[in-house]
Amino acid sequence: MSTSVTSSRGAGTAGAAAGSGTPESPGTAPTTGGRAGKAGRPRRGHDLRGLAEKNALLVLLLGVVVFFSVLPASSERFATSENLAVILGTQATVALLALAVVLPLVSGYFDFSLGANAAASGVLAAGLMSKEDMSLAVACVVCLVFGSLVGLFNGVLVTRFGLNSFVTTLGVATLLGGLIQWYTGGQTILVGISPALVDFGSINVYGVPAVVYVVLLVALVLWYVLTHTPYGRSLYAIGANPRAAKLVGIRTDRYVTASFVLAGAVAALVGILQLARTGSATADSGNSLLFPALAAAFLGATAVRPGFFNVVGTLIGVLFVSITVSGLTVASAAAWVSPVFNGAALLAAVGLSTYLGRARGRAS
Amino acid sequence: MSTSTSADLAVVVTGMTKSFGPTRALDGAGLTLRRGTVHALLGGNGSGKSTAIKVLAGVHPGDAGHLVVNGREADVAGWSAADAAEAGLRFVHQDLGLFEQLSIAENVALAAGYPTRVGRSVRWKELRAHVAELLERFEIDARPEQPVGSLRPAQRTMVAIARALQDRDDGEAVLVLDEPTATLPAHESEALLAAIRRRADLGQTVMMVSHRMQEVLAVADDFTVFLDGRSVAHLVGGTDVAAPTEAELVAHMTGRAFDGEAGRERVAVPQQAGEAALVVDDLHGGPLRGVSLSAWPGEIVGVAGLVGSGRSALLTTIFGVHRPSGGVLRVLGREQTGREDVKARMRQGVAYVSEDRVGESAFANLSLRENLSASVLRSFWGWRGMATTAERRSAEELVVSHAVKAGSVDHDFATLSGGNQQKAVVGRWLRRAPRLLLLDEPTQGVDVMSRVDIYATVRAAAADGCTVLVASSDFFELSTLCDRVVVLRDGVVDSELTGDELTPDHLTAATQSSVLTAGDAR
Repeated sequence: MSTSVTSSRGAGTAGAAAGSGTPESPGTAPTTGGRAGKAGRPRRGHDLRGLAEKNALLVLLLGVVVFFSVLPASSERFATSENLAVILGTQATVALLALAVVLPLVSGYFDFSLGANAAASGVLAAGLMSKEDMSLAVACVVCLVFGSLVGLFNGVLVTRFGLNSFVTTLGVATLLGGLIQWYTGGQTILVGISPALVDFGSINVYGVPAVVYVVLLVALVLWYVLTHTPYGRSLYAIGANPRAAKLVGIRTDRYVTASFVLAGAVAALVGILQLARTGSATADSGNSLLFPALAAAFLGATAVRPGFFNVVGTLIGVLFVSITVSGLTVASAAAWVSPVFNGAALLAAVGLSTYLGRARGRAS
Repeated sequence: MSTSTSADLAVVVTGMTKSFGPTRALDGAGLTLRRGTVHALLGGNGSGKSTAIKVLAGVHPGDAGHLVVNGREADVAGWSAADAAEAGLRFVHQDLGLFEQLSIAENVALAAGYPTRVGRSVRWKELRAHVAELLERFEIDARPEQPVGSLRPAQRTMVAIARALQDRDDGEAVLVLDEPTATLPAHESEALLAAIRRRADLGQTVMMVSHRMQEVLAVADDFTVFLDGRSVAHLVGGTDVAAPTEAELVAHMTGRAFDGEAGRERVAVPQQAGEAALVVDDLHGGPLRGVSLSAWPGEIVGVAGLVGSGRSALLTTIFGVHRPSGGVLRVLGREQTGREDVKARMRQGVAYVSEDRVGESAFANLSLRENLSASVLRSFWGWRGMATTAERRSAEELVVSHAVKAGSVDHDFATLSGGNQQKAVVGRWLRRAPRLLLLDEPTQGVDVMSRVDIYATVRAAAADGCTVLVASSDFFELSTLCDRVVVLRDGVVDSELTGDELTPDHLTAATQSSVLTAGDAR
């Protein structure tokens, strides 16, 4: 599996090629003289910069909120609870998919099939209910199993057979896109979808769409898993150095495969929520969800725990992008402004995190 | 100082000072290199020798000091990389900066530029001729079109040296080598040092940094010792001056009297009584072709042998990284099926420190705390999640008990020096209280003081009844640390040395003679 790990490892830490093998990597004694000297310097400067780094995205987010609340073109309609509910509701699926994307990324693996997995799960759920007359609960369970199996397939290919995760999951994504076309015949599934599900997708609880609570619940669980279990800590260790992880007794293949399975299950949940929100399942490839999710995950890796993919940062990333886009829309900016902004924000975030990583002596 | 005139001096540095924030890395250090000699720059981690080299190279701007290189006077404060190159200083770092897949010629050309025709197409023939001449001059037995990856380690270093000196081989050039032998096995570093010695005899001025005292003593004429940013000793060699002893040099490096032989005394030779902790019988797999050996609790057993003899493979097989293809393996009284993986062996009480610290031990971007607890993650887990407070406290205790110098356990592991990283890696394993400890090149690229700490730690573990297996290419290490040493040759145990036989010379003889017999056998 070593080849796949190294070739796809860029993802392990957002601080670019900070991983193993860089010529000036740590541990070589010659650099130590200076280093040892630096270790003794007062930590205040270090901490301040760390603090700024950790919270930069959050501060930026607040800045954007203030900006659009004050801007005459948007102030009237932007800072309203209705607008907030709309933003949260529409971005819930992106946020959840971003969380799914983070799981394999933590240990250094891409999963580009998660968007297609979500789309396929949504279509499958709709199809099971409308064509097979299954109950909502059974359809959901079948979907979650389906999503997990897709994840398992990816995980086994990537770990057991050592295939490159980038290419493998791209292949699986394309394959799933084709299967969606076959299953739906290119038609949108409109009828037979459980009204309970559609109701759930449209109600607000305490002024916030119900689906948002699902996202928060999953986020809480994943946050716990990634930061507060030996499993999550092991995933980060694999991301930092897969060979060393293996030698401290971490069963890397199993753990990585499990992260793909978990991500697949979350993606299936995204499909179900998407179905609940829209009330119909279109023959879509799911990529329109995947790219904003990827962007949010990478943005998130610049915050909270800079240099590492993390749950809270990812949520902030989603909010940052969606609130800005909403603000631009409310301020009636032209349609091309949003994608340009998204792209620029992502480049700036990745650039900034790489730069800060270097300044800290990580990737230099 | 000696009576040498200034014309004999290639480099004279005085009062070199450099601070990083409030830390003084260099505090008025001085250095004098005589032309045509090998000069060793010594000092523990953090003594300022790396900083001195970086200031000389113009990588870090110095704060103050005076500098004379080949008669050119300059202020340290304004010294730049261009000035260093212009004055004839040439640097070869531990990481050689060679591209393994490219040919020697291409590697040389990437530094000096390709000779080109009009229209920028490369004149390959001219390049090859130039490189062939360079290889000849530096006595490297290789062809220009050969990929660097196919060379022996010592040859690679020589290619890097030749590349650095290609445009300036006029006797004025000063070659600075930063730990040239740190990652080389013993016989390779011997070859390299011999080559360096020959360059010096031809008039080349060389300054080298090395942690391996034996080598430094064998090759260097003069010595400068740094301690806390100051040069505390200048030892100028000559025909009428006795070379310093290792104990003398280490005493300068530590600033206190240091008994180099202290490491040798053994509290008591452990009894090979009761049940063996490790029984290996006719073990096959990879390069192993029937290894048999036993080790008892409290014993430190060395494993010597040339590269490819199965030295490392024996350890990884016992640890469960590789499955044996045949033979008997009994670990701590339990017969192994051979299908156990690393985790299963760890549960049985086995621990392993890889020879490749950067590649296989360090989580460079994770904190020291996370590196220390990587082997015991589960023990900090409860229903409320990871007990980070307990984890931090235990990490701080480990840092103290293993004498790891670190600003904070929350700093990135990469910010630690090599010696401190290694001590932390050893600590990571010893906190599991293993009953069988496998160490592969435990002090490679580690400074003398850290080495002493690591030896003390290993001995303490053995005294507690842990069985230790040490694979090393450093014969001095094996003879210092081990109770007995088995010599592997072609995947089988060739001989075993104990007691008075256990000296670096005997070990050299034992491994080298196995080369001779191996040659006959084929």
